[in-house]
Amino acid sequence: MTRPEPGRASYVRAALKGMALTFRHLVNPHKVTYQYPEERYPLSPRWRGTHRMEVHADGRPKCVACGLCPTVCPANCIRLVGGEDDNGNRYPIVYEIDEFRCIFCGMCQEVCPVEAIHVGQHYENAEYSRDRFVYDLDRLMAQDHPVTHLWDPSDPRTE
Amino acid sequence: MSETETKATDTVRCTIDGREVVVPRGTTILHAAEKVGVKVPHYCYHPGIPSRPAMCRMCLVEVEKMPKLQPACVTPVQDGQVVRTEGANARRMRQAVLEFYLLNHPLDCPVCDQSGECKLQDYVFAEGRKHGRGTEPKRVFGRDDFGGDVLFYGDRCVMCTRCVRFMNEIAEDPRLCVVERGDRSIIDTFFEEGLAGSPWAGNIVDICPVGALVSKDFLHKQRAWDLDHTPSICPNCSQGCNIQLHVRDNAVQRLRPRPNLDVNGYWMCDYGRQRYEWMNSGERIEAAMVRESGRAKAVGWPEALARAAEALRGAAAAGVVALASPFHSNEDLAATAALVGALGGGSLLYRSELAANEVRCPGYPGLARRRELAPNGRGAELLGFRRVGDEHASGDLEELTTHGGVLIVLGDPLLDADASFGTGAQAFLYANPHTSAAARHAHFVLPVTTFAEAEGTFTNFAGRLQRFWPGLAAPGMARPAWQALWAIAAALTGQIAPTTAAEAFRRIGRQVAELEGLTYEQIGPTGAPLPASVSGSVR
Repeated sequence: MTRPEPGRASYVRAALKGMALTFRHLVNPHKVTYQYPEERYPLSPRWRGTHRMEVHADGRPKCVACGLCPTVCPANCIRLVGGEDDNGNRYPIVYEIDEFRCIFCGMCQEVCPVEAIHVGQHYENAEYSRDRFVYDLDRLMAQDHPVTHLWDPSDPRTE
Repeated sequence: MSETETKATDTVRCTIDGREVVVPRGTTILHAAEKVGVKVPHYCYHPGIPSRPAMCRMCLVEVEKMPKLQPACVTPVQDGQVVRTEGANARRMRQAVLEFYLLNHPLDCPVCDQSGECKLQDYVFAEGRKHGRGTEPKRVFGRDDFGGDVLFYGDRCVMCTRCVRFMNEIAEDPRLCVVERGDRSIIDTFFEEGLAGSPWAGNIVDICPVGALVSKDFLHKQRAWDLDHTPSICPNCSQGCNIQLHVRDNAVQRLRPRPNLDVNGYWMCDYGRQRYEWMNSGERIEAAMVRESGRAKAVGWPEALARAAEALRGAAAAGVVALASPFHSNEDLAATAALVGALGGGSLLYRSELAANEVRCPGYPGLARRRELAPNGRGAELLGFRRVGDEHASGDLEELTTHGGVLIVLGDPLLDADASFGTGAQAFLYANPHTSAAARHAHFVLPVTTFAEAEGTFTNFAGRLQRFWPGLAAPGMARPAWQALWAIAAALTGQIAPTTAAEAFRRIGRQVAELEGLTYEQIGPTGAPLPASVSGSVR
């Protein structure tokens, strides 16, 4: 790169140009800073965050312990033990998701035949200890954030 | 057909899906197709059940010059016949048949135990319609407890009647029948009798092509696609049924029969099927232990083996007694015999449980739950072990309790031994997979594997050698018993110990002349009978 000889170039013009830009932004601010946590960034409907388990009206989890999500999970982060409840229905005795291991691909939601497990539009997951990141069934059922809308190729609104 | 004609053409040549095949006259299209690798879908036909009702209508195939589709499971092939299983008509028919099956099927695959090994699922996925057209409500039966280990979900049933025909023709204990007609037809038991007490009823769960009959023991336990299948031999009686261990999380989840027409056909008894929990037992010896000033101390294998060899050599002069369990393989027992031989010889004993009577399978001659409730009693006798004890595998321990020389116990749990067992012995070697109170006075405790964790062979009641393969990982430091015992024997004699199970098996030929030259390859996956010269008592 060729540079002007020292002492033969003036920086005044460049400095004025820079200052002009600064003043232009001062009077017409293009805001990029969000005043978190008072102000939240709007999430995409396809945002895939921490999980949520849907529940029936009577408080039972919708999960029927079919075993498809642990089978499809590429990170192997779901632990499931199936069993039978008092009414003869199959249900998950143990359902745990290790959110640290999870890669948030959303395949568990995609594969679920009863629309029980969902990834959610949520990202505020800080905890004080690592073991709190293994979400058990009660915790997944207690989550109340909106769930992710999967991309449906036939529905342009999800694009 | 005249005599001469039959002789002239004992075989017929036909074409199936463009592939020519020559088969004996009278072979069905389904079998001929199997021979050239064409799999014809079917529900009601089962190779182990003699009757062929041809009622599921899944195996309908196109036969040239025949106006209608023919059921492949009952139609014999003719000379020059051209069969198409993949023709447009046959495909359309299968699709229509499957649509009929799904009219009342609940499609509850997510909660169904058969899911993953279900023929309805497979066929519909392969050839069925993408979407159902039914608008009528489905009829609902709910589930019914058939007694025994069997649970019946009527909604899932495809009415192949394999279960009914199995109970009629193989178990010869007609306890099931079809009641009602049309879409209301359902499998049912007579009155409230159920299947409880039938020794063969567990097989109907295996042969049910869908999830209508499921095992209570396996209910919701594991998904079928998660299970690893390991070929093995049922260890619960001396019949030696060929089985598969279905394993997940290093635990046997269920046993399934493995077809072997020379031993068990397609079946196994409920007695054997239900006894697998002991293979998953957590009460295991996990480290080699040596007694030092009255306390057992865990040591490494090399030290345990070296010290055991030394102690056994010193004590052998006062006599050697070995008590083995017929739950151990031929390789393990032969290694025990070799160790006793290396110590200058001694008595070889075994104890095993005898049931009061045999439970025969009426429809499959040669299959029975045998009296001896251990897999390898015949192998033990062949290797020179002498049977002691009573029918409950107990008793006759007086001689061993006071024995003063070398005492070797392999696998026997010694449940009836008194507290002083082994105190008199100069060297007491105890090799067992499971912990036992009787090992308290042992000088050497060696952790060994069960049959489910090692490769080896059993000899069944009729003298048939059969191989099994490891399905579980051995806990802790456990090793196959033949490895440990051969290492001690080799240290005593200066021989080289075998390093693989196949080599350990070939060594048996040196002890038992009949097995000379026999290898694992010759036995193969379905076993090989011992030479006819070997005879013995049959239990």
